[in-house]
Amino acid sequence: MNTGKAHKSGLRVVTSHSSLWGRFLQGDRHAFAEIYDAHIDDLFHYGMHFCQEKERVKDCLQDLFQDLWISREHLSADIQNVRYYLISSLRRRLLRALRKDRRYQHRESWEAFEFEYTLPLENQLILDETAEEQKRLLQQGLAGLTRRQREAIYLRFFQNLNYQEVADIMSMQVDSVYNTISKAIGILKKNISLPLLLLLLSR
Amino acid sequence: MAASNYLSYTAREFAMDKDFQEWVLHPELRNVYWETWLGQHPEKEPIISDARQLVHSIRFKSYTLSATDKEQLWDAVWSGMAEEETDKDPVVSTPWWKYTWKYAAAVLLGILVAGAWWWMQSPGTEQTILSTHTKLGETRRLLLPDSSEVTLNADSRLLYAITGSGKREVWLDGEAFFHVKHTTSGQKFIVHTYDNLNVEVIGTQFNVNSTGKEIVVVLQQGSILLNIGEPGKGKATELYLHPGEMLRYNKQDGDYVKKSVDADHYTSWHTGRLIMDDFTLADAAIFMQQVFGKTLIVRDSQLLKYKVSGSMPIIYNPDTMMTQLGKVFRMQFNQRGDEVWIHKQ
Repeated sequence: MNTGKAHKSGLRVVTSHSSLWGRFLQGDRHAFAEIYDAHIDDLFHYGMHFCQEKERVKDCLQDLFQDLWISREHLSADIQNVRYYLISSLRRRLLRALRKDRRYQHRESWEAFEFEYTLPLENQLILDETAEEQKRLLQQGLAGLTRRQREAIYLRFFQNLNYQEVADIMSMQVDSVYNTISKAIGILKKNISLPLLLLLLSR
Repeated sequence: MAASNYLSYTAREFAMDKDFQEWVLHPELRNVYWETWLGQHPEKEPIISDARQLVHSIRFKSYTLSATDKEQLWDAVWSGMAEEETDKDPVVSTPWWKYTWKYAAAVLLGILVAGAWWWMQSPGTEQTILSTHTKLGETRRLLLPDSSEVTLNADSRLLYAITGSGKREVWLDGEAFFHVKHTTSGQKFIVHTYDNLNVEVIGTQFNVNSTGKEIVVVLQQGSILLNIGEPGKGKATELYLHPGEMLRYNKQDGDYVKKSVDADHYTSWHTGRLIMDDFTLADAAIFMQQVFGKTLIVRDSQLLKYKVSGSMPIIYNPDTMMTQLGKVFRMQFNQRGDEVWIHKQ
């Protein structure tokens, strides 16, 4: 559920997670299970947006958590954002797995994988034609973004990583992350017209 | 970012602001800064609403991993490691759950008295009893020697017997979610309550709550057999539950009813979420009582019927939980010791 998501990442309190991380590093399996429970949904979500192959995503996740436990003694105790750490690790694994696969050897073809957008539920309830038209324009506008741009937006808004973390994961400059997101918001602003906004405001 | 800058911001600039995004994306975390700012600059309301809508427009298709997939993946993580760890790290060969029980050793004595009734009536096979408990405001996830998993809710106790015969039996006082592993020999797993109700299973996921006047058993997956009736007083009633079915057993008169429910509503606590479907303030009171030992007090009993729907994370801190519930119900929760006074806002 989309709305539930925001609540969940709101749970991310750095201090409690750091101490959970500390317990995990000392070999506490409960802590490890808690880390798994806290992140598995979001990691899976990211993986599916990344390559849309459930089995591949699950394989990478299994490796990720196995390696995490096995190598715990060598991991840094000073990880500020466990979510960031796990996502960047999953991304490397997915990339490695995809590169081995012949189907993904051509860069253009795998650039084509796209994050999908859905409008907020409130909008979907509005059935009149102007709203439908706006939705179409919006989708069209957002479709003009590249895969990398969409991924940056996704990491900021869905996974709640900050601009710097998004830049680090994607090996981009912070400025270009910022510009990318600004561009997307520009498209949204252009396509969401006043009547629709008013309707949404009256909620 | 200095507050004065915000006065010249356009909706687009607000939507780009990290702090602003946090406020919009996490309504459950109170952001006094923005609330105050908006209070001081009411003329900015349209721009803020516009910006808020922009942030909300960015959504992504949902992909979810089913509970079964999650469990399987978790099992795969461990089984994949089993071979690697045995030759690499012999220390791990000590079953880890022994540590958990060690801490509960002190409590064990006290609980043994309560458990003595069955200890004496059990045939004299060799057995060891292990026990654990949770305090108010905490939950604990346990891995039993047979690899079954139990999540113990707050203020609950669990006894586990290892018998020579390999029979799997636990005694529960409180609430727990069970994920029972199927064994190759198809061995039974029995949950005893301290009333005349036992749950018998082979391998499945279910919730047992014996905290109130009733014992409530909800089955999420698999199949379970319930034994109802006093020992020695004729034949016990046997009753099967199917997934999504709930049985409520009245501790006082031994009466029971079975009905179909959405099992998630009763089991979601073990994944750290509270699912609220027509959740009344009275339900919130039961929750706060069970998990934190807090009593909710209202002046106007009409308030108890006030309902909300949705879901939220359970945070095992009474203050945070009350603040969150207060926001959800749009009421003020004022704490005085173990009492919580509720006022309309």
